[in-house]
Amino acid sequence: MQHIEFDTKWTMVVDIDKCTGCGACMVSCQAENNIAPMEQGSNKLKTLTWLLVYELNNGKDFPNREVAYLPRPCMQCGHPACVPVCPVVATTKDEEGGIVSQIYPRCIGCRYCMAACPYHARYFGWLDPVWPGGMDKALSPTTSTRPRGVVEKCNFCHSRLLNARERARNEGMDPNKLPDGWYKPACLEGCPTGAISFGDSKNPEHKVHELIKDPNAFRILESIGMEPQVYYISRRDWVREQSDNHLAEDKH
Amino acid sequence: MGIDRRTFIQLVTGGVVGSLFTPVIWKSLDDASIWSQNWSWIPRLKYGAITEQASLSKFGASPCAEIVKSVGGSPYLTKGNGENEMSKGGVDPISASGPQLMYSPSRINGPMKKVGDGKYESISWEDAEKMLSEKLAAVKGQKGKLAVVSGDNTGTTSEVLSGFATEMGSSDCYLMPSEEQGAAVALSSMGGKGQIGYDLDNADLVLFVGADAMDSWGPVVRNQRVYSESRPTGGEITTKYFYAGSFLNNTAAASDKWIPIVPGTGAIFCLGLAFHLLKSGASASVSDFDDFKTLVMSRFTPDKVEKAIGVTGADMAAIAKQLSSASAPVVVAGSEFGAGAGAADVIAASAVNMLLGRINEKGGMKILPNLPKAVESAIDRSELAAKDFAGYLAGIAAGKVATPDVMMVYAANPVYSLPQTEAMASALAKVPFLVSFSTFMDETASTADLIMPNPTSYECFEDAQTPYGVGAAMLSACAPVTEPMYNSKATVDVILSVASGMGIDLGYESAELLFQAKAEKAGADWDSLIEGAAFVSDSTESGSIKFAASVLSKAVSMPKGGEIAFAPYSKLINGSSTMAIPPLNVVLVSKNELYGKDLLVQVNAKTAKKLGKSEGAKVKLSGAGGECVARIHINEGVMNDVIAAPLGFGHTAWDVYSSGKGDNISKILTVSTESGTGLSVWTSSFVSIA
Ligand code: SF4
Ligand code: SF4
Repeated sequence: MQHIEFDTKWTMVVDIDKCTGCGACMVSCQAENNIAPMEQGSNKLKTLTWLLVYELNNGKDFPNREVAYLPRPCMQCGHPACVPVCPVVATTKDEEGGIVSQIYPRCIGCRYCMAACPYHARYFGWLDPVWPGGMDKALSPTTSTRPRGVVEKCNFCHSRLLNARERARNEGMDPNKLPDGWYKPACLEGCPTGAISFGDSKNPEHKVHELIKDPNAFRILESIGMEPQVYYISRRDWVREQSDNHLAEDKH
Repeated sequence: MGIDRRTFIQLVTGGVVGSLFTPVIWKSLDDASIWSQNWSWIPRLKYGAITEQASLSKFGASPCAEIVKSVGGSPYLTKGNGENEMSKGGVDPISASGPQLMYSPSRINGPMKKVGDGKYESISWEDAEKMLSEKLAAVKGQKGKLAVVSGDNTGTTSEVLSGFATEMGSSDCYLMPSEEQGAAVALSSMGGKGQIGYDLDNADLVLFVGADAMDSWGPVVRNQRVYSESRPTGGEITTKYFYAGSFLNNTAAASDKWIPIVPGTGAIFCLGLAFHLLKSGASASVSDFDDFKTLVMSRFTPDKVEKAIGVTGADMAAIAKQLSSASAPVVVAGSEFGAGAGAADVIAASAVNMLLGRINEKGGMKILPNLPKAVESAIDRSELAAKDFAGYLAGIAAGKVATPDVMMVYAANPVYSLPQTEAMASALAKVPFLVSFSTFMDETASTADLIMPNPTSYECFEDAQTPYGVGAAMLSACAPVTEPMYNSKATVDVILSVASGMGIDLGYESAELLFQAKAEKAGADWDSLIEGAAFVSDSTESGSIKFAASVLSKAVSMPKGGEIAFAPYSKLINGSSTMAIPPLNVVLVSKNELYGKDLLVQVNAKTAKKLGKSEGAKVKLSGAGGECVARIHINEGVMNDVIAAPLGFGHTAWDVYSSGKGDNISKILTVSTESGTGLSVWTSSFVSIA
């Protein structure tokens, strides 16, 4: 598989030890990206949440039980499994920065990408999105609405990147060398514990450049070689140990 | 049988492999996407200038200072306001969907009067105010005929309500039960005045006893920010956090150490710590020190404490040692679900803080002054906080207290959120004229005789004074972000106008002038408040507090043991005592708490075995006041002989997002009276399981 690299690498670093599982990031993501409210939330196979906070545990019985929360956006992989399987090229990784895009009007809903993604980061719209009672007036102008029948995913709040680039252009700066903090995804902005850091890991002036080298930093399912652009940090051994098979242990 | 979408896609994509080189497939795929994405109704995105304005969200359990983003004047997104000390940036999961909540299907569109059971008719504001004025005129000057309850502990609106009640000759003005109530009673028992706060910002060891600070205790978002600042990603941890409670909740999960203790035994735990501190020579120059010492050394010895709460003497000694060797420790007690803990836990935790010399110290427990009142006739804030609404209603239910003729409920949902819910709701049903000043069609509004909808804090002026738990007295305010969506009117304006029609002068003509005056009296700059800054005062109350040993000796009793203890917990994802599950939160609800329509309660495997129940088993939980049905979920994050259950489900009003989901466990909470303070408490409820 070809490894797709750019000069800029938008990277998210999530400090698992700081996440309290409050869910503010998930709500912020839904509001920013026009994910319609759903009447039933129990069927996790049909719910749409581009970002999902998993509850992990150390597998021990009371009183030795420990819990950690792992927020999971799309990993924007360097070797995205979802891209080559799409028969209509609705998903690509070709923009500077390495965000894996999803073009909704082209998606035919075959869900090959969902089957291919080992992180379960892609979601199929099973239901017609409905914003009742005038709730469509609170739609965000940043993300187009999607009909049922297409696959959706986190795009690192791509429109915010476009806005930050525009600001840079307006201020006579290089839009491909954004200063740290100019481009912030909605989940980061919502998170009260500051568990989420974000920036260009190839730019030494960005905090994430150092964070990904932290001895406690890791990526999920590192061994399968997808090269995710999302890193996690935890001081707890059991959390790091689960990172290569956490899906077997998780619950939500 | 026609060809359905799935068959069509299978056919098309099956053909893809062999035919990628022919243009026909591309054309038909394009058509397929157009065909498959036909929807009858495509919402239009609104375009226009994107603006940001500071505001205050009063949707969650504690006020949250936010920045609201609008497009072409319509709010669509919020983020934290880092410039505001009250919540220090960040939002909670209810406030995060504030703009969407503005359009919630459960919003009340305009004033309504009841015309039959569950039937309402829209009326004009003029008629609504006239109706209210008539009912009020009939009870003016008569004691016991008018009751008022507010669910907003921090807003000056509650001052207006309590001032109005006083002028009407009523002494029945209450706040809904909350953490603040136990703390207010605790402080007055200890001989202090003002409000208890905690300077978590400067502490280096924080021990939460019961208080679920990361999800339901105090200023949750601010607690999370402070916690986060002490543990920079990739850096050194500067403050340690311990949590003592019966359930591995979000606070326990985020803490460095979880100390499992039996529900409702926070005071015993604290006094057990006091034993070790006293033994190692700690003291305080307070009048009742000797009484306190005698009490602790005789009744809270390590063996007795271990029997009562399950923590060994050696473990207790180790925790006490860590506290006394930290340079800025603080102990914070509260309930695991935001209300009902009584005063003893707070007194006992204060005692530990006193022994550690941490009162009014940097990073310690603070006694904060109340900001000056804006409404002269209003009840003093601490006094109001200490009043016992649950006790009052229980009295009405039992026929011991006369039912008022008129009850006004502001920003509160007592029909749903009080313990022994059914009995409390029946007491409310006895009230001949119930008025609901609510934004949403909640359980209380849907039984009220008159509904006078209050706008959201994005649509009107609002303020918030020193939320319980913050470490300094403070004030925030906001101006409207947008025009009122519906035909609502700020409750302050309704009360001011009704009052003046009845010859009562509360001193103001509008909400805006009232909030401005409050700011001025506090010494704050109104303009900077509505631009998003919080006013923070660095003063604390002088004068020392005592141990209230006599209260402790009556209020703290050892649990009998041998029963299954009930541990309710509250999570903002599932709403709060005033807010049902917000539409955007439905997908966040854990499948271990709600599955389909079934509520799940949690026990560990050992307890499940003892009960003879397995994962998924249906159970009936019964308490003094009622029954609930639920399923068992096995969770090793619950201590032995405890059943943990989430609050926030089983709504019967609101909308499709929250109604008819699970069951309301408040029904089975048992109210009892705390000896020594007389306060209604319900943290140690036992249930039987069938
Ligand atoms: S980066 Fe944006 S789209 Fe992705 S999870 Fe966060 S908020 Fe959602
Ligand atoms: S907002 Fe932050 S703390 Fe809350 S769940 Fe998300 S990542 Fe965790």
